[in-house]
Amino acid sequence: MSQSIGRSCDELKKEYDTCFNKWYSEKFLKGDLRPECEEIFKKYRDCVLNAVKNKNIDKLLGEARKDDPF
Amino acid sequence: MKLFETTHTFFYNWSHVSAANWCKYPNEKCPHVIAIDVLDRHVDPETGILRTERLITCQQNVPRLLSRLCGGNSVIYAREVSEIDPKNKVLRMTSCNLSMNNLINVSETVTYTEDPSDSSKTLFKQEARIKCGESISRFANYIEDFFIQRFRDNAAMGKQGFENVLDRLTGQGETLLLHKKV
Repeated sequence: MSQSIGRSCDELKKEYDTCFNKWYSEKFLKGDLRPECEEIFKKYRDCVLNAVKNKNIDKLLGEARKDDPF
Repeated sequence: MKLFETTHTFFYNWSHVSAANWCKYPNEKCPHVIAIDVLDRHVDPETGILRTERLITCQQNVPRLLSRLCGGNSVIYAREVSEIDPKNKVLRMTSCNLSMNNLINVSETVTYTEDPSDSSKTLFKQEARIKCGESISRFANYIEDFFIQRFRDNAAMGKQGFENVLDRLTGQGETLLLHKKV
């Protein structure tokens, strides 16, 4: 699996990616849209957003989101 | 401004390709992509479309002119937004650079759709637009040519790399051994 921008987030990313890939193939593609992996995603995302802030990319992201909101 | 477009057919069904998309990196053909992170993700309950926002971290050589203007940093960040419509079997991804965006804008759109004449195949289309900012317009031709060539090279490697990922995920051929080495 690929690394995270924050190396300390690698393990959380691995856990989240594993959960998501399983959900995607076994549930989402078969029509079950109920979200899963939310708890691990929150932990992983918090870690990533922290790394993004530490690397000063948060402003760049903010500007890009203004042009093309998520 | 320079434009780039390429198409390809993958001999795998759309579901397999869309799932493999999330496992595309790392692959040995695309060492320049060093990290990928999901920033946000949700399913639209009405349309059933899965929307994902990702941050891509790349490390690759850039023209010295740009490198000097950016303090010699060769790490480039890009933002990708994708939508997957499982009912209509469409995966569309748009990405643009975050780094150096005052100097150059590289935006790319990639779509994967089921081949209407053969559901065992998936059609791939990639379009890119590369435009230099006003401040370096004198060098625009040179810089844009550099990035178009880089794009062309990365696209060719990316296609090959993704084929390897698709093979590996179906457990076919010697690419399975390559993955084990990695």
